[in-house]
Amino acid sequence: MSGGARLPNFLRHSLPAALLLVLAASMVATLSPTEIARRGSLLLRSLAGETITAAERTGFWFDPAYGAFLEEVRRSTPRDATIAVVVPPWPDVYVYQAAYQLAPRRVVERGRQSEATFVAAYGYRYPGAPNPDVTALPGGALFRRR
Amino acid sequence: MTFLTALLRVLGGALAAGALGYALARFFTPGLHRAETLAWSFATGLLVQAILFVVLVSIFPGAGPLPILAIDAAMVAASFLARRPRVPDRLARGQARTLVFTLLAIAGVAWLVFLVAALSEPMWATDYLAMWGLKGKTIFETGFIPRRLFQDPALYWGRPDHPLLVPLSLAALASLSGGWNDQALALFFPLCELATILGVWGFLSRRVSPLAGASAAALVSVCFPLYRAVNAGLAEIPLAFALVLGSCAFFDSLETGSRPAMTRLFLASLLAAWTKPEGTLFVLLLAGTLFLRRRLRPVETWKSGGWALVVPPILHASLMLLFARPIPPRDFDPTFLEPRRWSELLSRFGMVLARILGTYVLPVWVPVLAIGLFFLFTRRGLADLLLPVLVLQVLGYVAAFSISSFDPIWKVDSCFQRLVATLIPPFALVLGARVGREKASQYGKARPGASNAAKSHSAST
Repeated sequence: MSGGARLPNFLRHSLPAALLLVLAASMVATLSPTEIARRGSLLLRSLAGETITAAERTGFWFDPAYGAFLEEVRRSTPRDATIAVVVPPWPDVYVYQAAYQLAPRRVVERGRQSEATFVAAYGYRYPGAPNPDVTALPGGALFRRR
Repeated sequence: MTFLTALLRVLGGALAAGALGYALARFFTPGLHRAETLAWSFATGLLVQAILFVVLVSIFPGAGPLPILAIDAAMVAASFLARRPRVPDRLARGQARTLVFTLLAIAGVAWLVFLVAALSEPMWATDYLAMWGLKGKTIFETGFIPRRLFQDPALYWGRPDHPLLVPLSLAALASLSGGWNDQALALFFPLCELATILGVWGFLSRRVSPLAGASAAALVSVCFPLYRAVNAGLAEIPLAFALVLGSCAFFDSLETGSRPAMTRLFLASLLAAWTKPEGTLFVLLLAGTLFLRRRLRPVETWKSGGWALVVPPILHASLMLLFARPIPPRDFDPTFLEPRRWSELLSRFGMVLARILGTYVLPVWVPVLAIGLFFLFTRRGLADLLLPVLVLQVLGYVAAFSISSFDPIWKVDSCFQRLVATLIPPFALVLGARVGREKASQYGKARPGASNAAKSHSAST
């Protein structure tokens, strides 16, 4: 072991420790106390058996109502279905959430509707005319392709 | 099932994996610190449980966790019937105990912060939804690895070429816990952090001093740029664990050349290469370092641990080629490497460097300066050999951003910070090792190749 600039004895141990402390402090500074408190409260509520609403979750930050729509699509389709999702083009997490929440169903984007057995159109207001191949869902509609 | 029940079940699944890992790891962790043994047990459990899951769900589809638990129990029982090798424990005790305990207590509190952050809600990071979670949930729900995860053009954004260890680990845990609960499964990530902390603490306590180990463990635990809520669900956290284990095993294999050290190196390389492509880059850089230390002699490099570093990435690539044949990744444009585009490549390289320096280095000039001064005022440490590897790893990222098919600035902004954060735990090994002096070799004087003592130890194993 060699190297290291010569330092007076009292600095030899304390200076490296202080420098590591600066490094550690700079990483700790990236934390937000408010965020820790919020997450602690969410965890306690989850442990107590409370259901956390979509609006409080980060996963649907871009559109809290989208979670309920996907849940209805999941309930209304078989596990081996291929579902084309018609969703806003931005942010791309609309598609990722659909693929993840609906797994193991295969999810394709708007351009691949021909491969799908269902089309889930988010934001589409179904007028309500009776049609066995169309189901109105909260926030959209589900079309069965034949 | 309530969240608490699901959480306890996931914890039970993780403990089962750890017990299985311990049953196997006890044969190649003789003489290691207890904390290190726990870290290696967790790593071994992850790997074996993932492989068992794939094999058993294909043989017994829909049978639930029973076949896995039965094999786990049989392997644990068989392991304890066999005698394990013993090596004298030469751990230092009694040095600056109060300071060591204080640092370990800080590490414990910091770990709790990440535990709370990770478990506070279902995992939600974009890459979790698009890649790791999607693959894991699909494998768990279907009971096998569907080919479409690799070959479906509709899933091109899901990185079909990426390794499957994290999705398989999540699927195995879900199977053991009886359901896919994406809030409870997040426990996997704080457990990976805990194993990383234990690995760092144990290795430096054994090879340098408890104070060095505790300092590095505390540094790893406060690495909040990595251990934060948005990263729960991503492969970066298990990757950092694999990089730490790979580094520790690398230094042990350099010191002893013993069979247990080589086995650990092989296992850590497997863990790294099967977690993320960045893990493959890291183990190949370690192999390059070994090649240079062996004065560019390939046979000697191979025998002194090169095989343990090179075989896992080759194995992974072969399995992907044979069974998965993933659609080619669209992230990189290799035509940038053609001579006609060199000027363009150079300009992109400059753009990437400028972006990294301006956006990610300058704002943290205080800790960067502190690191520089720390190196100036401390003696060389046993892990300094990692420094060029880590620098080359970062340069590898810069090169990859430069040949990106997308806007290189966007690529830097979307993943540079996260990728570099995975290098902080192995970097903490370098810093911690400089806090104290390296102890005399456990097997006598340290030397470039395997010592006689180590060889005889290896033979006895």
